[in-house]
Amino acid sequence: MASVWRQTKAALQAASSFEAFDTLIKSQLLEQDCTFFTRKEILRLHGRYHEMAPNVVPMDYTKDPDVKLPMQLIINMPELKENPFRERIVESFSEDGEGSLSFNDFVDMFSVLSEMAPRELKAIYAFKIYDFNTDNFICKSDLEKTLNKLTREELTAEEITLVCEKVIEEADMDGDGKLGFADFENMISKAPDFLSTFHIRI
Amino acid sequence: LASMSTSERIKAIQKMPGTMKKKREIRFVSLSSFALQSFRRFGNSLSEYFHLLQLGHKTLKIIGANFGTSVLSYFIFLKWLLAFNIFSFVINFSFITVPQFVAAEPNNLSFTGLELFTGAGYFQETVLYYGFYSNATISKTENGPSYNMQLAYIFTVGIYFVICFLILLFSMAKSFCRNFVNPQIRSGIASKLLCIWDFNITNEKAVKLKQKNISMQIKEDLAEVNREVLNFSATERVVRIVIHLVCWVASLGTAVAACAGVYFLSINNLKVFVKGHKNDLESQAAMLVLPVVASLLNTFIPFFYSWLGHLERFQTPGHQIYVTITRNIILKISIVGILCYYWLNIVAVSESQCWETLVGQDIYRLVLVDFIFCLLGSFFGEFLRRIIGTIVCVNLGLPEFDIGRNVLDLIYAQTLTWIGILFSPLLPGIQMISYSIVFYVKKVSLMMNCQPPRKVWRTGQMTTSFMLLLFFPSFLGVLSVIGVTIWRLKPSEECGPFRGLSSMYDAVSEWIKILENYTASKWVVWIYHNLITSELFFFILSVVVLIITYLYWQITEGRKTVIKLLQKQIMNEGKEKRLLLQKLWEPQRKTENPSVPRGQGQQVSLIVQVLLFQLRAWYGFMWFL
Repeated sequence: MASVWRQTKAALQAASSFEAFDTLIKSQLLEQDCTFFTRKEILRLHGRYHEMAPNVVPMDYTKDPDVKLPMQLIINMPELKENPFRERIVESFSEDGEGSLSFNDFVDMFSVLSEMAPRELKAIYAFKIYDFNTDNFICKSDLEKTLNKLTREELTAEEITLVCEKVIEEADMDGDGKLGFADFENMISKAPDFLSTFHIRI
Repeated sequence: LASMSTSERIKAIQKMPGTMKKKREIRFVSLSSFALQSFRRFGNSLSEYFHLLQLGHKTLKIIGANFGTSVLSYFIFLKWLLAFNIFSFVINFSFITVPQFVAAEPNNLSFTGLELFTGAGYFQETVLYYGFYSNATISKTENGPSYNMQLAYIFTVGIYFVICFLILLFSMAKSFCRNFVNPQIRSGIASKLLCIWDFNITNEKAVKLKQKNISMQIKEDLAEVNREVLNFSATERVVRIVIHLVCWVASLGTAVAACAGVYFLSINNLKVFVKGHKNDLESQAAMLVLPVVASLLNTFIPFFYSWLGHLERFQTPGHQIYVTITRNIILKISIVGILCYYWLNIVAVSESQCWETLVGQDIYRLVLVDFIFCLLGSFFGEFLRRIIGTIVCVNLGLPEFDIGRNVLDLIYAQTLTWIGILFSPLLPGIQMISYSIVFYVKKVSLMMNCQPPRKVWRTGQMTTSFMLLLFFPSFLGVLSVIGVTIWRLKPSEECGPFRGLSSMYDAVSEWIKILENYTASKWVVWIYHNLITSELFFFILSVVVLIITYLYWQITEGRKTVIKLLQKQIMNEGKEKRLLLQKLWEPQRKTENPSVPRGQGQQVSLIVQVLLFQLRAWYGFMWFL
């Protein structure tokens, strides 16, 4: 009943394509209840999403199009271009794991990275980002790759091994040689800066 | 989800780590009431209009992109202080100044340009100062609605301070909860590594610099760990303690000398002012000597303190930074303290006609000169230093933005403004303009002259400590000064809204006496006599608060013990698991039975997961407390 009412309301108010889109955001998409953004911010995000590929992304979402932008376009955004972890960020938020984001995934990504997202949610995605081989554990090779990206490969091989061993020794509580999500979250709780550094302004 | 209320359901959906599609499906299923949805959407659109007031969002993004979160925290703090001043200016202007315009007396003095610097002269007879406000009940028409200026003045200032107190308290508590970690938990290399990357930085050069800094930091950490802890011999320890003591004595001595200088200068100032009202250039310039000297002391003594800090050999650089900042805080508190003592004990009982206006003028000059010195400091400290660092002496390099010193300057200026609100109601407006100019100038200077910080401070703890500093010495000190002024000091006989009363607070007690005659407002009188002026009520309140604090503290201590026990249990379970797996793999090699070890191993890892979950839950309780 409510959905029929909503669709009638949407049809009645369709004047220009932008207004139709605006109404549809109000009545159908309802992303503002699933993310930490307000309606205006979601519209602004859609503007950014659209300008990355104006020929592909429609302004009209009546038919609920299944448009996904490839990773190459997204990692060239100014907010992500210089970030060493940009590929991993985009891959963690894409549904298929290959890095192509639909608009929903796009909003989801910036919502988690905004300042209003709580610590637990950010920890979940930070774990996914640092887990390069996606086996739900941060093992030694993941740590080595992270370290290389953090220091632009300026450390020697033995320094890298030393640091990785120290990290595992310090954070691994159940002694299986790799960091599970619980170990990671426990370590994050000791770092007070996590909330302010794991944050991208858009 | 079904058992939660609507707002809780929405929060739970927002926090779910699933994809948007799944969340939308869950949302359609769970939220069905259309009326509730439209109400929520109305609330959301209201909050959108408040977001329009987000000034400088783009500027903050650029600063964060180039310099990282620690420098950004200074600008966010500046914006926050600006909001306090805007709020104060708006309510002072609407409730105190606008009614005064209706009953304004004509201003007979002439305007020369020098008033902008000295605050005296033409400005003396304007709404800028306390002395101009009338003590009458203002009414536009005969027998029309009247406006009691005395009550308006004291209630506006009082309510503003109460609101500020509550805002500061809640912001501090929230920030503490989010960011402050027990400093005893030494964050080793693990949490540093996985939380060190600042996702805000988007400038290519800044990213490369940050990566270089990280690799340098990691190399330093590795070197520190390899080095053994230095054991000092007895004589060396004694020498270090003596050096520390001498430096502390030197810094405290400098602070005391600065205070004495300011005190004698201000007494001289008062003598000159009370003696003659010569309006020539010399006496006007003489009025500016005190603020200039105070600002010079505030600018140059911190350099002396950092030199002392380099002289003492501290064990960690963090230690040096904290000690230097503590000394600066002591210096600034003593200068503000001595000025307040001078104003309340000497100016208030002097023979001048309108002592509140004198104090207001003093504060105006101090604030203005401090603003000018801030701009000059930015010019000399950053611009010239960059020229020296890049052309003359290339080893020095670009300067870094000194966050600690700049924040202390902001807190000092805000303390002066808060003290000045009672004596000069429009002072927050002036401070509002000065903060906006400082924001712009500092941003331009930062982008042109500075490089990103080499050693990153713990940003979260820094923000909490700024707010703590703003609250404890600064705001509470201001409250005590205002309290003494309102309760103990006799207002001037000839000017201001409280002329003729024996203290400013008498306006309220007289109003309560008048209210006693009306039956409709007996409850106000009852609240006044039994809650606000009764000592027993405050005593009981304090005892209750202390008991609750003690209970919470005991609960926290108990939970800490439980956390330690759980951690030990996790380690033991992990060892058990490895032992079991070892034992079970041996027979497996002999008898080729694959199913048994996996099952046992899964059981133990399940126990470990349960224990880790419990540990997380306890951490969650700790944060909640």
